[in-house]
Amino acid sequence: MKLENEDALDNLIICHQCYTLHEEIPIKDGSKACCSVCGGILYRYDNRLIDHGLALSITGLIFFILANVFPLVQIDILGSEQYITIPKTIFSLFESGFYVVGMICAFLIFIFPLMIFAINLILFTLLKFERGDLWTKDLLILLSHITPWSMTDIFLISILVALVKLIGYAQIHMGISFWALAVFVLIDLYIVKRLHLSEVWMLRKRIIQNRERNDRG
Amino acid sequence: MIEVDEDKLIRCPVCAAVNIDRGKANSCRRCGSGIYQHRRFSTEKSWAYLITAMIAYIPANLYPMLVSTQFGATEGSTILGGVVLLWEHGSYPIALIIFVASIMIPVVKFLILIYLLISVKYPIGKDKKVNKHKLYYLTEIIGPWSMIDVFVVAILAALIHLANIEIVAGTAATAFALSVFFTLLAAHAFDETLIKENK
Ligand SMILES: [Zn+2]
Ligand SMILES: [Zn+2]
Repeated sequence: MKLENEDALDNLIICHQCYTLHEEIPIKDGSKACCSVCGGILYRYDNRLIDHGLALSITGLIFFILANVFPLVQIDILGSEQYITIPKTIFSLFESGFYVVGMICAFLIFIFPLMIFAINLILFTLLKFERGDLWTKDLLILLSHITPWSMTDIFLISILVALVKLIGYAQIHMGISFWALAVFVLIDLYIVKRLHLSEVWMLRKRIIQNRERNDRG
Repeated sequence: MIEVDEDKLIRCPVCAAVNIDRGKANSCRRCGSGIYQHRRFSTEKSWAYLITAMIAYIPANLYPMLVSTQFGATEGSTILGGVVLLWEHGSYPIALIIFVASIMIPVVKFLILIYLLISVKYPIGKDKKVNKHKLYYLTEIIGPWSMIDVFVVAILAALIHLANIEIVAGTAATAFALSVFFTLLAAHAFDETLIKENK
């Protein structure tokens, strides 16, 4: 295979699922390119990626706060009322001496999800104003290291499993935070699983190239 | 113009950029991360994490995951014991979810990683019937779901704090969480480009 220079490697893409090499071709706004071997999604093209990214990270952060300040679920058991919030779940592990599990849970369901959305917010703001090229690079690297460790979706399913175990023993009321968490998980799935970081890298490259071209001419 | 061998192209595990494989001196042209620079100990790091995870999985199954105290009587239930109990009570879907998340997924992940780590070093399993990249991708996708039982225990322990009835996490919760953590590390440390070399 002949290439003009090493930079032309950016026109190539290796499938995340099956490692097949593909050439990147321009696609229509809002559409996606799939792997011809395994059908996995290679990349999408979104003309307004920055605006969508900004809107999603702000909405996500709002719902994350809502999911943390109100009760997730409330139960009536043997005449007494009990409720949990996300912080309370983590603290109760620490209180009963489970520091390791407490730390792991704190990172998986609180610190990492919060970091991902805060980083996305800063990242897309910097991209929007075309500033801080070195910052955006470091943020993108950090983001790809922590995204596999965000598990709010699994925590949401765990709440349901725990509640099913309690059916028959207690009366269950879903709290506001449960629904906020459900919305947060949907946004999280979109921003973490659907938005490929390589698309943001390409967007960053286009912004830098445009600026250099403008500077020269 | 440069001439590039298509088989020499690798994907950066951090930013997914396509790079030319330069052996030991690999560092990504886009993000600068080292791409599997530990060529001499290519699988050892992953093995170390995996063995730690498998060792932690033993106490995770032997000790109680959940300890409940009802009117002074303490009772602990292990992962498997909990699944059997749920099944006997007729909660089949929940019993299945816990069984898949806590027993099937960890064991399948161990087996896949062992197979991958052995097959990139020794000439077994060179058949092209199984796509090893897809197997690896599978472990990435299913891995985190084994945390379900730990979260469930944490939720129940936080929720049930009554005068006469109390639920606390058991020793197995720590062992299990560590096991999941190290399995994820083992999967991340696995060098996907080794699969390509051994095709
Ligand atoms: Zn593919
Ligand atoms: Zn890279």
